[in-house]
Amino acid sequence: MAMGPIAKQRLASAHDLDLVGLAAAGDRSAFGELVRRHGSAVRGLLRRMGAEPSAADDVAQDAFLAAFEQIAEFRGEGAFRAWISRIAARLYVKRWRKEARADLLADAGELDAAPSGPGADARIDLDDALRSLSAPERVCVSLCYGAGLSHAEAAAALNAPLGTVKSHVKRGLDKLRSRLSPDDDGGQRSKVSA
Amino acid sequence: MPDNSFEFRLERMFAEAPAMPDAELFTVQVLSRLDRGWTARRLLIGVMGVAGGLIGGFQLAGSGGLGAVAAFGAESNAYFTRHVTDQLSAVLPAGLAVDGQVILTAAALALIAAGFGVARLIREI
Repeated sequence: MAMGPIAKQRLASAHDLDLVGLAAAGDRSAFGELVRRHGSAVRGLLRRMGAEPSAADDVAQDAFLAAFEQIAEFRGEGAFRAWISRIAARLYVKRWRKEARADLLADAGELDAAPSGPGADARIDLDDALRSLSAPERVCVSLCYGAGLSHAEAAAALNAPLGTVKSHVKRGLDKLRSRLSPDDDGGQRSKVSA
Repeated sequence: MPDNSFEFRLERMFAEAPAMPDAELFTVQVLSRLDRGWTARRLLIGVMGVAGGLIGGFQLAGSGGLGAVAAFGAESNAYFTRHVTDQLSAVLPAGLAVDGQVILTAAALALIAAGFGVARLIREI
C-alpha cells in the first residue's frame, strides 16, 4: 500500500531516533527513510575501504537488512549513521576475509597507488589519497576514522594483533597527511606536495 | 605527539557522504529485499496457521464441539428473530425480509468496513 503524503512528510522531517523507534515497531517506511538518509554514506565508506562499487552496494544492503533485524538493540547512545557504518564495515571485513582474496594484513605494499610526483598541482581528494595506501592501511584507517572503531575493535574485526593494526593506521595516516595539505580543511581537496 | 587536528579533520572528511545519483534506487532495492523476507515469513505463518486451524478443527469435531457451536448459532438466530426483527420490520419498508442471519451478516460487514477505515486513517496519520 502506498504511503500517504502526510505520513511521507512526517517521516522526512523526523529525527533519526524517532525513525528508529518506528522501525523497531515494524514500520518499514520509517526504515526506508533511514536508508534514504544514510545509504550513500555507507556505500561511500565501503568504497573508501576498497570495495568495488557493486560489492559495496551488496554489503551495504546486507548491512541495512542486518540493522533492521537488530534495530531494537540501537539505544541511541551514538548517531545512527555511526552504528550502521560499523555494521557495514564489519560485514565488509568479514566478507573479504571469507573470500580469502588476500591476507588482509599481509604487508602487501602499495596497492592501487594513485599517480603522484611530477604532477604536483593535481588536485586530489580523500578518495584519491586513500588509493595511495596499501590495502591493509586503507582498511585499517577506514575502520578507525570512517566507521569509528577503536584500534582494539578494528583488531578484533580483522582478527589481527592490535600492534599490527596500530602500525597500519600510523603508516596510513602518515601517507594521508603528506597528501592532504593542512590548509584545505573543508573541501576534501588539496594540492599534492611536491 | 600525535597530530590530533589532522585526525579530526580526517574524521570529518570521512563523514562527508559522497553524493550517489542512484540513492533512491538503492533504497528501493533494500526495501524490496526486506519485503521478500517478510513475504516468506508471512507465508510460513500462514501455513502454520492453516495447519493449526485444521488440527483444531479436527479436535473440535472429535469432541462434539461442532454440535454445540451449531446450537449456539441457532439460539442466537432465534433471539434476534424474536427481539430485533419485529422492531426493524416496523422501520424498514414493507416486503424487506429481515431475520437474525441478515442482521449478523450486516454487523460483520460493518465491522470489516470499520476496520479498513481505521487502518486507512492510521496509515494517513
